[in-house]
Amino acid sequence: MGERVNAKALQARAIPALLAGAARQPLNLSGDLAALANTAPAIAALHTLSLTAQALRFERPLPPPSFHTEPEIYDDRPILPEASRRILIRLLKEKKTSDDLDLALAWGFARSRLRPHPFDLPRIDSFVRTYAEHLGLTAQHWTAQQADAAAAPKNYFDAEALDDISWSNAPLAQRVRFLGSRRKEDPTSARALLEATWAQETADTRVCLLAALESGLTSGDQPFLEAILKDRAPRVRSMAQRFLSRITGSGMENPALKACLERIQLTTTGLIKKRGKLALELPATLRETEVNAWIRNCFSEVSLDELARSLNLTESAMVDAAEKDKNLLVALAWMATAGRRLELLKRIAAGQLNDAWEQLALCGNPDLGMMPAADRLRWAEILLAPYGSNPPASYAAWRWLHRALEGPVPEMLIEPIVRSSRWLDDLLNEAKAGPEWMELIAAVCPASQRVRLRDRFKDLDPQLTLTALPLLDILDSLEKAGHHE
Amino acid sequence: MALNHEKVEALAPDQSSLDAARKLLKPSSWPAVASNGAGLIWGECQGSGSTPYRVVVSEIDLGYKCTCPSRKFPCKHSLALMWLRADGKLAFATDPVPSWVSEWLSRRRGPSGIPSPTEDTGSKASIQAAVAAVSETKPDPKAEARAAAARERNRQEREASILAGLDDLDLWISDQLDRGLAGFAGHSAEACRLIAKRLVDAKASGLATRLESLPARIFSLPEASRPNAVIRELGQIHLLAEAYRRQSESDEILPSGLKASVRQTIGWSLTREALLSDPEALRVSSTWRVIATLSEVQPDRLRRIETWLWREGGGEGPHAGLLIDFLPVATGAASSGFSIGDRVKAELVFYPGAVPLRAQIAQSFSGAAFSAEALELPKHNLQEAYRKYEEAMLHEPWLDTWVLSARNARLRRHGEQLFLCDRDENPTSLALSLKPAQTSFASPLLGLEKLDALGLWDGYSLTLCWAQTEWGRWVSA
Repeated sequence: MGERVNAKALQARAIPALLAGAARQPLNLSGDLAALANTAPAIAALHTLSLTAQALRFERPLPPPSFHTEPEIYDDRPILPEASRRILIRLLKEKKTSDDLDLALAWGFARSRLRPHPFDLPRIDSFVRTYAEHLGLTAQHWTAQQADAAAAPKNYFDAEALDDISWSNAPLAQRVRFLGSRRKEDPTSARALLEATWAQETADTRVCLLAALESGLTSGDQPFLEAILKDRAPRVRSMAQRFLSRITGSGMENPALKACLERIQLTTTGLIKKRGKLALELPATLRETEVNAWIRNCFSEVSLDELARSLNLTESAMVDAAEKDKNLLVALAWMATAGRRLELLKRIAAGQLNDAWEQLALCGNPDLGMMPAADRLRWAEILLAPYGSNPPASYAAWRWLHRALEGPVPEMLIEPIVRSSRWLDDLLNEAKAGPEWMELIAAVCPASQRVRLRDRFKDLDPQLTLTALPLLDILDSLEKAGHHE
Repeated sequence: MALNHEKVEALAPDQSSLDAARKLLKPSSWPAVASNGAGLIWGECQGSGSTPYRVVVSEIDLGYKCTCPSRKFPCKHSLALMWLRADGKLAFATDPVPSWVSEWLSRRRGPSGIPSPTEDTGSKASIQAAVAAVSETKPDPKAEARAAAARERNRQEREASILAGLDDLDLWISDQLDRGLAGFAGHSAEACRLIAKRLVDAKASGLATRLESLPARIFSLPEASRPNAVIRELGQIHLLAEAYRRQSESDEILPSGLKASVRQTIGWSLTREALLSDPEALRVSSTWRVIATLSEVQPDRLRRIETWLWREGGGEGPHAGLLIDFLPVATGAASSGFSIGDRVKAELVFYPGAVPLRAQIAQSFSGAAFSAEALELPKHNLQEAYRKYEEAMLHEPWLDTWVLSARNARLRRHGEQLFLCDRDENPTSLALSLKPAQTSFASPLLGLEKLDALGLWDGYSLTLCWAQTEWGRWVSA
């Protein structure tokens, strides 16, 4: 019978010859292939090719030498309700004029402590990568994997679960929040945590983490701050100097305070009752559109109490003395916000600076940092109160407020819109507002007013609310299904 | 605004559209028509394609949409639906609005820019003329005999042409073998283009397409795999050619199913009408679920749209069916009439073959409706599923794509490559690599310990279509 040829043997014999070519390596036609040897060489080669091909087809694919061990992700956030998944994907794929919709969704996920469905992460990849810190651990893992599979961290952190060991490995935003929170409870321990990792941090990280020590400065912080006066990063040095100037007995001056004082004039008015009057001198070359940004840059590193002390006034007296100078009032409102001095801010906004909201919006991002949500709302209410039932139709101011609050605005802002159609009609007809406005209003609308807002929107041209209405639906869904902070 | 014949006439772009619409008025062409009771009507029309076209019309503003690739607006399907509504003879069930209609509504930019029925559009289309256009021609036996003889002559000429083309193919493959297949990939594009052209001239268009797409298939594989893949592909092509030459052999040598498969693969097409009227054709009535829809542009500039159906409930016969539509790329149509997850009760008629897979819908018993229910998959794991694939290959050696189902599987990763494996930790277990294009979409499945999967295996890599998991259903689109 001759030699039998099984599939493996056939492959071993035929493949090298087929690959090399008949001219270089003739086919070995023996055993069961001997019948082919009686045919023309070309036919034999063709048949051998087909037989080998079939043998290869029946070869099972080999597994790789090993498989990667996937990290265990303990993401205890519930998944977005099934009914909302499609709406979410469609909304995020729509072409948008601003990122208010994405921000509203990201903050909505954070507040409700829900997460997008894992299977949807590839479909909403851009949104997930931008806002992963708000979307839960699975989203953070996804983002890290997409960025660089080799560099993907082995562990992921829920902000609530950080401790003194794990905090240094978490994303920066979570670290800042953790440190700020610890600083409130135990300032010394917070500083110690930072000192332990200081040398390994990048310049940007050092700036952010150092800012978290701003509250609760005491003489105990002095040695650390003096040590970092020689830091390589100018921003770190400047911040350290500023903090030291607030510590009694440090002998350090705040250069920013000195610069402000050079521009503030204090005079006395009144015949019978002498009253102080403050005026802020702006640089001569400053354009009107640059004023608010300049004010922010000039006064960001100065606190209310150190300015008042330098002027030999109480803080309230300082506000009263500035009543005729709008620019100085803006600066004081800015410092009151930064220093969380809401009672002073109220005095300013209710007094001579009724448009404090719009003025602060022109200054830039207020960075309310660790301010709790309830305090942020209170802060916003102070700014909104002077407007009553006629809030400004300033898209920039509304966007600014949305970003400052990282969530819905106080009800008082939406009330005029849902109570009567007049404000919206004016907005649409006079300001020629488009769908971006409706999207923004939907993004900032508190949960309690969404039903009424939805009714108001249904009266509008559907083109204006293509994204606003589904956004209200999703935010409602997050609200109902989530656990709220 | 109720539809009436005058409005339909006014909307029709021309008389030929109305004539074509008239041919679609048979209720059997519409497995599903419905209304929401508030001015919206929709339906599924079984046209010449393998999947029905979906049509929706707003009676309020006469907006419409159809999934067919026609460039006439409104198309014959839209006109036919309006005509049926105007006639009032076919009952429109009052149903909740399906998701594909809602999506159209949500995307509408207001009333479509169509002429109001009161405007004179100048089309002068007439329903009366369309109804009267049915011409009755008496059969002419002599003419039919001449036509039959001509068809037989053409068939013999084509057979001879194909055989000549196969001889040239043999020479071409032999040349490649002489040179050695190790370097074939490097010059495959030009070489395959030339032989494909020859085969087109020889009227072996199916084989020509296979050769023309060969370079792309080879280069989609890792470099180390390409030499063996070349052997597999060229060996298979020669096997097809040999099988074609031996069609006259007995059924013991070449079973009839295999003969039919060879002919179709070489390029003999069977029209839908011929298939439906073949009493020997395999018919399976069942409930089918759409598990995948794929679309690709072929080298001949036709878009091939595949709709893969899974047979629910099991039973004798094929466990899956494949509907294929070919559309010119220029029409812009790129999707199947069905969506993944749709469930349809239908009778499928399968093209003859040793392992029947490609089919047409002979009859729909229901319109397609999306279902979120899980599929009841056979109780076998990946190893056993692959064994069934090997059995199928024994019956049809040139089997292209096979639907694999596996329970208790998991997805694993090696480098950037994903693999579908059984859950056991045996290092020698089968591991089927996924297509690289699926890496991003499928990677969320890596976090799961277990999943039940459906995929399309083409002999090299798996297109994962459907996975049932603790997080719900994952689909590839």
